[in-house]
Amino acid sequence: MNIRKLLNFVLVFVFVIGVVSCTPAAPVEPAAPVEPAAPAAPAKPAPAAEVTTLKVWDNFVRPAETAIMEELIKNFEADHPNVKIVREAKSMDDLKATLALALKSDDSPDVAMINQGESDMGAFAKASLLTPMNAYAEKFGWYEKFPQSLVRLNSWSADGSKMGEGNFYGIPIQAELIGVYYRKDVFEQNGLQVPTTFAEFEAAIATLKTKGITPIIFGNLDGWPAIHTFSEIQNVMLGSREWYDNFMFTTGTVNFDIPENLKAAQTLKKWAEDGTFMANFAGVGYDDAYQLFSAGEGAMLLTGSWLSGDLAASPFIENIGFFVLPPDEKAGYKLTVGGTGFAFGISAKSKNPDLAAEYINYLYSEKTAQDMLAAGFLPVYPLENVEISDGLLADIVAGWNMLNTTDSVGYYMDWVTPTMYDTITASLQELMGGKISPEEFIAKVNDDYVKGLEAKGIK
Amino acid sequence: MNVSAQTGANKIHRINITPYLFILPAFLFFFIFILLPVLNTFRYSFFDWTGFSDEVFVGIKNYQELLKDQTFLTGLLNNLKFILFFTFLPIIIALVLTALLSRRNLWGRNIFRVSFFLSYVMPMVVVGVVWRWIYNPVFGPLNTSLKSMGLASLAKPWLGDFSLAFIAVGIIATWVQYGYCLTLFMAGVQRIDESLYDAAKVDGANEWYQLLHVTIPGIRSEISVALVTTFIAALRVFDLIFVTTRGGPGSETIVTSLWLYTNAFQINRVGYAAAIAVVQTAIILLISYFLLNRSRGQEEGD
Repeated sequence: MNIRKLLNFVLVFVFVIGVVSCTPAAPVEPAAPVEPAAPAAPAKPAPAAEVTTLKVWDNFVRPAETAIMEELIKNFEADHPNVKIVREAKSMDDLKATLALALKSDDSPDVAMINQGESDMGAFAKASLLTPMNAYAEKFGWYEKFPQSLVRLNSWSADGSKMGEGNFYGIPIQAELIGVYYRKDVFEQNGLQVPTTFAEFEAAIATLKTKGITPIIFGNLDGWPAIHTFSEIQNVMLGSREWYDNFMFTTGTVNFDIPENLKAAQTLKKWAEDGTFMANFAGVGYDDAYQLFSAGEGAMLLTGSWLSGDLAASPFIENIGFFVLPPDEKAGYKLTVGGTGFAFGISAKSKNPDLAAEYINYLYSEKTAQDMLAAGFLPVYPLENVEISDGLLADIVAGWNMLNTTDSVGYYMDWVTPTMYDTITASLQELMGGKISPEEFIAKVNDDYVKGLEAKGIK
Repeated sequence: MNVSAQTGANKIHRINITPYLFILPAFLFFFIFILLPVLNTFRYSFFDWTGFSDEVFVGIKNYQELLKDQTFLTGLLNNLKFILFFTFLPIIIALVLTALLSRRNLWGRNIFRVSFFLSYVMPMVVVGVVWRWIYNPVFGPLNTSLKSMGLASLAKPWLGDFSLAFIAVGIIATWVQYGYCLTLFMAGVQRIDESLYDAAKVDGANEWYQLLHVTIPGIRSEISVALVTTFIAALRVFDLIFVTTRGGPGSETIVTSLWLYTNAFQINRVGYAAAIAVVQTAIILLISYFLLNRSRGQEEGD
């Protein structure tokens, strides 16, 4: 190749790299170390007169959420005069993308909200980016006030390989559960009661169909809503918690290929094809779906308690209730998909871990839980004898309390391997779109799970 | 400082460095913020790295895995299929519109030009969000008008339909790209000597013939620029897919950039994502080199 051709190629290379690099930014912030707002004073070990700064990152970004968080911070600062909280609110996607590098930098936040699961909390544990909170748990008595199943979900072995044991890394303060929002007036007009068994639930669906009412409003364009729907049906079929415990904590004693999961897949496929879901649900987004329910369409909405705040804007709010999907009559028990929001944890680089722990203890307390409830949010902290005037919230709290007393808080199965989220969202769309059979669906998901086990050295 | 004259045997003795000094600041910027990260990405592709813990050297393992990766290969195939909607359709539409809008005193011609170009300057994320709403099967304007015209059977769940989602997204891409091609071509037509058209008309050529044999050859270089940039757009599309379908339904609309994002930010496999980036760039470079060289050859031949 002569010089001319080489120069030619280099110029093309430079031109193309220039064009290709002129990208509008992707919807997610690039993972660069982020400079938070400048603190008032450097965070030195504080003699009484000096102000200690605590940097906190949380994901309470929606208007009602940020309002409650700001109030909680104000109350904390009032009780601790020489402490200043510098807070940054980041959306879930932003937090996920930027937290890793921030924890690594010297400018790391002291307290941050961390997603449970292998890709986040597990990976951070493995990279030694978090401070284990076991000692603080003993000191503040967290183990007594925190459901055991949730402790396991927020614990990782020191090498970050096994969830459920070892070091305790985070406390979530907001609870969530999947259930059924329903129109009380529509139920009444059609002679339906809140179902107490899964058979009654299916009967209700049949009745609604004959009356020309869409039984379940549902939109799966975003891919993930189907995970919750499928898991709830799965929970009914399983009728116990043993399989799921082993599945989620990758003990190696179970895999996805069991008859109950096949039955669940077949049921979901049936619902997708027989008009149980709204028409054209595959092309409707999650937000659009719940807006439709809020505006009066359909009879039920099978999704999470987190919508309670936003459904308050519905003109039909007086007539909207919530029930937990009932179990199969014979089994009498089922897990319910649920859990918590992200967990508050302490960075390994924090210069004030004790103060950070105190802040977290404040966030997970009776007073905070009451404030959250008053603002329409479901707290993890178990509250007894609470008066709730809001009908919908009362239903939700009752559901959450029932899950805790019957030890039936379930799991989000997309956490179980790093690639499971992509695998299951795509496979569920294919199952409901009639592109793959229920058997093929089971095989695809199981494939992913088994590969995940192998990657951890578990057979 | 003068360049000494060249003869057959003599080469340039003294090089004029002034031009290089002029481009040095821009080049430094380019080097630090673009070239260096690109070279770094190339380096990361040989490691296994979560992005925040220690890197582990793995040689070409990432590339070997990539060759067998079904998701990546499906994505790449989709990128190539998108070329129809990013490149060919927009160029054809733009050529027809150019013929209609150019070289005549059309009232409001500039208004047309600007409004056609607007679709290109809108941020892709905004375009995606708006079109997602247009395609909404329940209350989006497309299905509502179909239903009001009595064509309810055609009111499909566009972005969620396995057979239609790809085309639906492709149409958005064509809508974005054609304005850009049109603007390029209309600028190019102004360069064409009017006497060529006169000669053709004398020979009895109609509009269609003029378009094929005078206009298109005359704007050949604009067409090749449009070809290269729209090819690149098809091969690296991300925002549009991310906002409309996220790669779904199933993996109907997944593209390599989306898979790169998933690996880098959700699965914590930055090294693997870097390998995807390198392969993507190599393919783009190859196609661009081929296209740009071909056009240069043709120009020199004119």
